[in-house]
Amino acid sequence: MSISSGNDLVYLPATRPERTNLPRFYSRILTAAEVEGFVQLASSRLPFDHYVWLCWSVKESVYKYQKRLFPELVFAPLKFEVRLVEPPCGDRDFYAGIVVGPSLMGPINARGQAHYSRTWVRDGVIVTIVSEDQQFTDTHWGFSAIDSAAHADQSAAVRQLALEELSSVLSRDDLRLEKDAAGCPIVLAGDRPLVLPISFAHHERYVAYSFLNRVV
Amino acid sequence: MDRREILEELKRVLEPYTENKELLRNINEQTDLVKDLKINSSNLVDVIIDAEAKYNIEIDFDSSEKMISVGSCIDVISDKINK
Repeated sequence: MSISSGNDLVYLPATRPERTNLPRFYSRILTAAEVEGFVQLASSRLPFDHYVWLCWSVKESVYKYQKRLFPELVFAPLKFEVRLVEPPCGDRDFYAGIVVGPSLMGPINARGQAHYSRTWVRDGVIVTIVSEDQQFTDTHWGFSAIDSAAHADQSAAVRQLALEELSSVLSRDDLRLEKDAAGCPIVLAGDRPLVLPISFAHHERYVAYSFLNRVV
Repeated sequence: MDRREILEELKRVLEPYTENKELLRNINEQTDLVKDLKINSSNLVDVIIDAEAKYNIEIDFDSSEKMISVGSCIDVISDKINK
């Protein structure tokens, strides 16, 4: 199991349903199998355009997860496939998915490792985290509304939110966040990079993070 | 259309999705759509659809994957226009 983290967030009011519902739009995001998969979610009453963005957020999350491991990776939504998206039920309040990417993953595919996704759809916000661990053990995540949609404010807010949780989980007050050469965020204690993969997402006035705190 | 003309039209395509208009005015072929222009990734499909309409072209899936920087966008658009 690889050590990484991936998340994504979509603020649905900032999307355009009339455009999302056009085949020439969603066919750039969904495979034919995923379009058929929407039928399985009929009981969830999820609108189709929300389903498109749910799948998008899962794929974007897997991309971020893999980008940390393979910096040359290019995001290509149709080369990931989201399967078995199950709606919330019982005490589970998230959509569960399994993601495969046969034509993208190369060595990942050779290892046969799938990714699992959990997606919450709340108050117009889609928040997704992914992991190679179906139980999401040691994965921490969170999201928050913020006061500004400006990129600099989003960036500052998501770092502050993540640092609060990191400081709490690790019981340290010397943590910093930077980016590596590939643009992936990294956590440092003082000047020492930690093996603690973290992922950020933001859209309009919402930000989200996920990180894996696993002893290796 | 030459590359300079495509670039000027491309600025109009990118404008609705770019927060920093000053940065947009000064883009060059090395400018990355997400890293530099801070275009939200959820708008990348919008950029492709709008570019198809602007240049009256069809951008296939494989080509759209290459549209990461301004230069690669111009490459794809130029290729489709001249087909």
